[in-house]
Amino acid sequence: MQSTIQSTKMFYILIGIVAVSSLYFVVPGVIVAEESPRTFLTHTGLVIQTTGDVIDPIGYDGEALDFDPDKFMKEFDYGEVTVLDDGTILREYYITARDDQIMEVSPGVFYNVWTFNDSVPGPTIRATEGDLVRIHFTNEGSKPHSLHFHGIHKAEMDGVFESIGTGGQFTYEFYAEPVGLHLYHCHVHPVEEHINHGLYGAYIVDPKEPREPADEFVFVLNGFDTDFDGENNFYAANTIPFYYQHHPIEINANQNIRAYVVNILEFDAVNNFHLHGTLFHHYPAGTDTVPSGYNDMLTMSQGDRQILEFNYKYPGLYMFHAHNTEFSEKGWVSSFLVKENTGNFDTQVEYDDII
Amino acid sequence: MTSSKPVLAISAIAPIVLLIIMIAFLLGPASSFLQFGVVLPEVSIEKIEFIENEIQATVRNTGPIDVDVVLADVNDRIQPAAIEPDISLKRFETALVRIPFDWNEGQPYEIGVTISDGTRFAKGIDAAFPALEPNVDLFVFLGMIGFLIGVVPIMIGLLWYPFIKKLGKNTFNFFLAFTMGLLVFLGIDAVIEASEISENHLSSIFNGELLIATVVILSFLALYGIGKQLTKKIEFSKLSQGLAISLMIAIGIGFHNLGEGLAVGAAIALGEVALSTFLIVGFATHNTTEGLAIAAPLTKSKAKIFKMIGLGLIAGVPAIFGCWVGGFSFSPLFTLIFLAIGAGAIFQVVLSIFQYMKEKSDILSNTSLFAGVSAGLIVMYLTSVII
Repeated sequence: MQSTIQSTKMFYILIGIVAVSSLYFVVPGVIVAEESPRTFLTHTGLVIQTTGDVIDPIGYDGEALDFDPDKFMKEFDYGEVTVLDDGTILREYYITARDDQIMEVSPGVFYNVWTFNDSVPGPTIRATEGDLVRIHFTNEGSKPHSLHFHGIHKAEMDGVFESIGTGGQFTYEFYAEPVGLHLYHCHVHPVEEHINHGLYGAYIVDPKEPREPADEFVFVLNGFDTDFDGENNFYAANTIPFYYQHHPIEINANQNIRAYVVNILEFDAVNNFHLHGTLFHHYPAGTDTVPSGYNDMLTMSQGDRQILEFNYKYPGLYMFHAHNTEFSEKGWVSSFLVKENTGNFDTQVEYDDII
Repeated sequence: MTSSKPVLAISAIAPIVLLIIMIAFLLGPASSFLQFGVVLPEVSIEKIEFIENEIQATVRNTGPIDVDVVLADVNDRIQPAAIEPDISLKRFETALVRIPFDWNEGQPYEIGVTISDGTRFAKGIDAAFPALEPNVDLFVFLGMIGFLIGVVPIMIGLLWYPFIKKLGKNTFNFFLAFTMGLLVFLGIDAVIEASEISENHLSSIFNGELLIATVVILSFLALYGIGKQLTKKIEFSKLSQGLAISLMIAIGIGFHNLGEGLAVGAAIALGEVALSTFLIVGFATHNTTEGLAIAAPLTKSKAKIFKMIGLGLIAGVPAIFGCWVGGFSFSPLFTLIFLAIGAGAIFQVVLSIFQYMKEKSDILSNTSLFAGVSAGLIVMYLTSVII
């Protein structure tokens, strides 16, 4: 009799253990805090009220991300200029590759970027046709890297068969030709990985006879596959998804605008560019002086570049984005805020200052 | 017994103390030494609900490290959303992701969340279906469903009582064996159903399959103990052994129906029941055999009608509670646990019936045993096909 009672007790204890251990899984789910909801305006214009946090690719804390697209789009690296004895202009650039940095590629999303000069994309290299371009490359990364420039140069300056190991240095030298909008990127195998991580940049060769004055911008169309499933999680013009949508780019109406558009998107075969409210003349790779079309759509394959020239007739807020809505809804959506033309042309590039 | 009590206490506590010291060492000084491999975060989307102009996803951190949920998407397109209580999720913690979205009924959707390292986790829904409003109408509706699948069929099954009572000894044994067959099938069915829930709704961190095995065995052992106590008591009371067995069966089936009710309620709430009428017809047909199982052991004693109704309610009413709980707040964990308890209980009942048959019949007819069990299994299979 005694033993039966004891065994019954044991069963109750067992059942007790089961009940308590199941609570362990459930209790953390209980929500305690009850605050008054706060209101947020989201990037799509939706208003959200919540007692919790808002998750939206707009940085609500107001802190700048590690990369400033506003600065990047108007920043050109003309190099250190020396005039050689024969009158040739020598431009020397310094580019360092690294692969250990973590960058906030979208508010809250941290990704290991591989960088040229601590930036994705790397600096926009700019020279004039016929200049001697000398690039002092240092690899501070843990993997081999290289610089492969599009354009006309000798085979040994192609940066493909000679990868630069950790701590290594290499000096690339070539004449800036032909005129146009080109590209440079790391060409070390697997190239897809090196590009997805951010080792690329734009390279502009201006004609000797300068182009018409204009307000100029660089847009490098890129993306990030942050979970390595072979598909991009984020798309953007200049790295940060949705950035120019909530920081519209201010331009003036009736002013020439020139956009240097480089597509370096990995994984997706085709990217595109659609401009609202006006049409542009476009120059494939910027190599010709005659525009090849007047359009509001551009279809670009990997590595394609286009120079666009346009102006706005009416002031207002205009979008430009990938017409592939998957890309635009994952970040490649931007806007111009067109203001009344005040006749002040400060923002124009003064070619006389460059040399 | 020469050792003193303090010594005994020390010998009991010492291993526990040493274990605690070892764990403290592993988590403290040795933690850096033990850090090898890559720790991967994991987030599970446990539940997706569609309310007016909003999709709500319940996410749980089921990985080994804390995570921040920083983005939400619908069909892999980034959407602004709210997350309550906040973006950071500790281990096992849940949060509610509220995505304002004008969804279309009947359309499939995939809901995803991205954490701070850029990893995306997603869950698909075959067809969006408006979440049921928790109101009186739903309460009555779910209660009716529970009543229809639980109580009514069992009561119908109990009506076989007068027929079984008139049978000879061999035929009676056949029906007891038939009941065993029904119950074995029901037990296996419950385990499979629990595994399906584990696979579809429970994140792998809960070790669903092992949890099922653990609960089935615990429930079997617990009911075995309770059953022993019950038969002990019967010796002093006027209760017949047949009634005791029927009671055990009713309790076992009651647990089973609670789990089944939870599953059906959840299926209704999650809009997964496309052919709900068929499902309910199937369950009802299937569950009629449960009434038969309760009635069979009673036939050797004088059972009063209200006692039989009482047993039917014990077995059937839990289905109503199951529908309510499952319909208003579905927890895959609890559904799984109740289904497993039901399975364990049912296997214990099978054992009780077998022992009862061995006691009552001097020579147990193999023919009626095998024929009965086989017939029970086949009938259950056939009624299950209707579902």
